[in-house]
Amino acid sequence: MAFHGRYLGGCAALALAAVLAASPTHAQDAAALNAEAAGNDWSTHHGTYKSYHYSGLEQINADNVKNLEVAWTHYPERATRGLQSTPLAMDGVLYYSGSYSRVYALDGATGKTLWTYAPELDEELVAKQTHSPYNRGIALGQGNLYVGTVDGRLIALNQKTGKPVWDLKLLDSKKVTVGFTGAPLVVKDMVIIGAQGGEWPGRGPIFGVDGKSGQKKWQFDTVAGTEEAMATWGNDSWRTGGGGGWMPGAYDPETNAVWWGTANPAPLYDWSGADWKKSGPRPGDNLYTTSVIALDPDTGKLKFYHQELPHDAWDFDSAVGEFVMINRADKKLVVHANKSGFVFVYDRSNAKVENVWPLVKNINFVKGIDPKTGELIGRRDLNLGKAETPLCPAIAGGISWNSGAYSPKTGLYYKIGQEWCMELTVLKTTPILEPMAQLNIGADFKLVAPPDGAARGHLDARDPVSGALKWEVNYKEPPLASVLATAGNLVFVPDAEGVVHAYSADSGKELWSHNNGMGHNAGIISYMAGGKQYIAIPAGWGSLVSDEYVALYGEPFKSMAKNTGALVVFALK
Amino acid sequence: MRILFVTVAAMAIVWPWLPTAAAAQQSTPAGTASPPAQAEASPNDIDGQQMFATTCGFCHQDGGRAAGRGPKLSKTERSDEFIIERIKKGKMGAMPAFGSVFSDGQIIAILAYIRGLDD
Repeated sequence: MAFHGRYLGGCAALALAAVLAASPTHAQDAAALNAEAAGNDWSTHHGTYKSYHYSGLEQINADNVKNLEVAWTHYPERATRGLQSTPLAMDGVLYYSGSYSRVYALDGATGKTLWTYAPELDEELVAKQTHSPYNRGIALGQGNLYVGTVDGRLIALNQKTGKPVWDLKLLDSKKVTVGFTGAPLVVKDMVIIGAQGGEWPGRGPIFGVDGKSGQKKWQFDTVAGTEEAMATWGNDSWRTGGGGGWMPGAYDPETNAVWWGTANPAPLYDWSGADWKKSGPRPGDNLYTTSVIALDPDTGKLKFYHQELPHDAWDFDSAVGEFVMINRADKKLVVHANKSGFVFVYDRSNAKVENVWPLVKNINFVKGIDPKTGELIGRRDLNLGKAETPLCPAIAGGISWNSGAYSPKTGLYYKIGQEWCMELTVLKTTPILEPMAQLNIGADFKLVAPPDGAARGHLDARDPVSGALKWEVNYKEPPLASVLATAGNLVFVPDAEGVVHAYSADSGKELWSHNNGMGHNAGIISYMAGGKQYIAIPAGWGSLVSDEYVALYGEPFKSMAKNTGALVVFALK
Repeated sequence: MRILFVTVAAMAIVWPWLPTAAAAQQSTPAGTASPPAQAEASPNDIDGQQMFATTCGFCHQDGGRAAGRGPKLSKTERSDEFIIERIKKGKMGAMPAFGSVFSDGQIIAILAYIRGLDD
């Protein structure tokens, strides 16, 4: 680890120089991608590589946001499980994906359709999948638009025409069941995409594909991807380990490192109790599940990593969460939220833990996490049978998979926390691999309210490094969409009931709201078209977490339309 | 005891119109660590509770006793035919189709487990 740190530190200037010395077009793209704020374009999933989900545009601001209104709306076809994707925008064109990996290119000012693309999917396979057929995002680069599919393909489309350029099969989804639902990430010439995994007994690969040729260049298995990692899976349990990297990471050009979060191991829950290093279904630490890993984008080689939860026994992925790259004094840091409700702060050069702080109040799977080392303190390892008290947070997490936002103007990190727990009974299970891999859960469970009140959510505005709270807004139900911060001193939160809120980034005071009529579980962006700023919000309810809301909250979710959606775009009057 | 009784009762209802045991063996093998043995096993030998906790409990909470992502199953008024058909064909956007994944014997074992559930 120390070696990596010194080596990377010494090469940082060279790596940055290499990025900036690329072709003029490439250099321009790199500058925009490495900026703190997204400008006229929103060209990558997290806004820029710094993952702030922050727009530098300020036409729409705290003074005039009361005049925000719907500019245009687009309705996608076959919006099964609503809309879950984050749009992109470039040169006044808005691109987004819907279920079945359908892609739409629209005039950003009017919503006029420029082109659409609907891949032919293996519908028989899709019907057998649990997490389908939604898609959570796309990527742009090399004049192409990239989208993954639930039947295991990565497809490149001509960005101007929507015509297929190449179509690459990366996963045998008929066998492993999982495919791709998350957005790819373009880094230099490479398109990087991670497979679903977690509770499915596979090895959770992440792929690097050459964007121009469509040739697979590398594969990194998040389960036992190195000799060191293989030794952390007793009884050959790596063969059915789970893992995966189902949401896109980010890129640090100074260390030429792609940061990616990995999913949990399978089964989700095991019965070995405190003896998990030697017994149970997957004895050992289970590397590199529930970890943040830094990969060389050119080779896929692992540079360094930190396992946030060694031997994750609670389904608290590291696959959720953006990688917020900030500098404090002379330190270069990256902030990453874990599904458990803890937020980790790392040294960007080597993944050394700099701090760990809790975003949510109801946590009992550990007594704490050492903020200096990241070591888990007082693990609550489960045994066979019914747990005496509910596990907190619940399987839906203290933090869900959509992203928070960071404003370099206020220095605050805006992030949704979720307060809920679950009763559970652990049972022994056996991985099902034939004829097609199946979920391996290992417990019966039921979501319940936490000890301190109702199941609920909150938007926190905190210092991203210390976790110090500046302000908080509470919600009856946790919002499940991404958050957007803007230079107009605004924070936007699309909520679960269908209302979009705009708050003052300084104080949390609500300044504007609009009811889109259906819940949100997608990404929100801002962009410029024809000299005018727009806010684009996909609406459309239906995801594994949102599906819990009928039992938890009743109305309006009981009667809320699912399998429908709309992209609603706002501008000033 | 109750589960055992219900297993047998459910078998009596369902078995006549299911494919024969031989046909079940020719279809996709059961998907556990020992697939051939499972495929040859009768529903009586398959642990429906374990299968439920492996896969079904992800959505049907508290072992099927409570609504969650999927509906509550204990004391359901749905017929055996409906439940078996739903397990086999699924429901797009809500439930996967397990018809080519689980053997008929496994599906009967899951049904028996559901029928044996108390609230």
